[in-house]
Amino acid sequence: MLPLAEVVDWGGLWEMLWSSFLAGLAVTIAASLAILGATRAVDARRAGQLVPAGLFSLVGLFGALLLAAAVVFGFVVMTSK
Amino acid sequence: MNGDLILVIVVAAALAFDFTNGFHDTANVVATSISTRAMAPKLAVGFAAVLNFAGAFISLEVAATVAQGIVDADLITPLIVFAGLIGAIAWNLATWYFGLPSSSSHALIGGVVGAAFVAEGAQAVIGSGLVGKVIVPAIVAPILAFAVAGLGILFTYRLVGRLRPGPVNEGFRLGQLVSGGMLAIAHGTNDAQKTMGVITLALVANGNIASDDFHVPSWVVVSSAAAIALGTYVGGWRIIKTMGSRIHKMDAAQGYAAQGAGAAVILASSHVGFPLSTTHTISGAVIGAGAAKRLSAVRWGVAGNIVVAWVLTLPAAAAIGGLTYGFSRLFGTGSAGAIVVSAVILAGAAFLFARRVQRGPTATAPAEG
Repeated sequence: MLPLAEVVDWGGLWEMLWSSFLAGLAVTIAASLAILGATRAVDARRAGQLVPAGLFSLVGLFGALLLAAAVVFGFVVMTSK
Repeated sequence: MNGDLILVIVVAAALAFDFTNGFHDTANVVATSISTRAMAPKLAVGFAAVLNFAGAFISLEVAATVAQGIVDADLITPLIVFAGLIGAIAWNLATWYFGLPSSSSHALIGGVVGAAFVAEGAQAVIGSGLVGKVIVPAIVAPILAFAVAGLGILFTYRLVGRLRPGPVNEGFRLGQLVSGGMLAIAHGTNDAQKTMGVITLALVANGNIASDDFHVPSWVVVSSAAAIALGTYVGGWRIIKTMGSRIHKMDAAQGYAAQGAGAAVILASSHVGFPLSTTHTISGAVIGAGAAKRLSAVRWGVAGNIVVAWVLTLPAAAAIGGLTYGFSRLFGTGSAGAIVVSAVILAGAAFLFARRVQRGPTATAPAEG
């Protein structure tokens, strides 16, 4: 019989677990922030609230940049091994 | 000459398997983008085919695991690889005919393991590799994809749930260009590499590559990438026709979360060299995104069928692979057995295809990966 604890590639499994969680949640939260920021910024601008509009634009930009960074980082990691 | 002939048959069978893998998996890759109307069907299929091709060039870790980590390459002959491929193809044909959702990846690994076991005994199978690099990740990956997609959609609804639905849906449809693209790349990366690994294993077995000098030749990478991309493109037209009745409705945010989670898990596992089932991973993500919104939105009966097929696939493909090897050996160690078996499989496939066309499509969606 193979002792399960010895044959499992725990290092690889752990890397798969944390990187999947981090990447999967990062791309989802980043897109949500981008959409939240863009939508709220438009609404605020229409209501004549320029300061909140600017702040929400920054949130949207941050989300979009985070999404782009997550995708680029993922490809760099995948192709560099 | 005899060895070269059987090698040609093995490579042809492997590329045929790769083509059918792409053909069956088109639904997994493009379904979410099409059902949320993020992309027009024709565009989604073309996009997925191109990115499947590109994805196959990203990494070779999975190919190395398939070629070196599951069976002992020094004990393998081209006939064993051939029998393993036939085990996978036959199981895929049978599950396609009966509409059972199964994994092409598990069928391939099961077939090779079964043939190696019958040919050389337990010493030919690297038990630790099979359990540690295939079975355990195969259990973990769908659960992980379920959890990541479920958590992702909960965060998403928390952040954008009170906004006007129009811009939110538009935003996530745009985002699905990214997540759908990532999923297609991930699929090409993990699945095409399994074929690369099997062809490389046959090259080692035939003496074309030394077992202590493992590398995947460029022509193997290019041909495997082309076969899976072509299969995805061709399979897409069949999927487009049946899309409406088979895919349940999900909103754009759920589609985005499911694709993002599925892509993240498949890419991460490819990076560490785990050859997992892309079908089961994507299914786990889709169920997770649905369950996080409303448990009753998930078709738990379908989920149960996936689990049953998951349990059956490895042993069933192994049994067929073993039987195929035994039958082929009746004709000696040369290529005669492989030629006879190829003819039988081609005739069987034509018969099943004709019967299926005659009877119409199965009630359950075929989903393989």
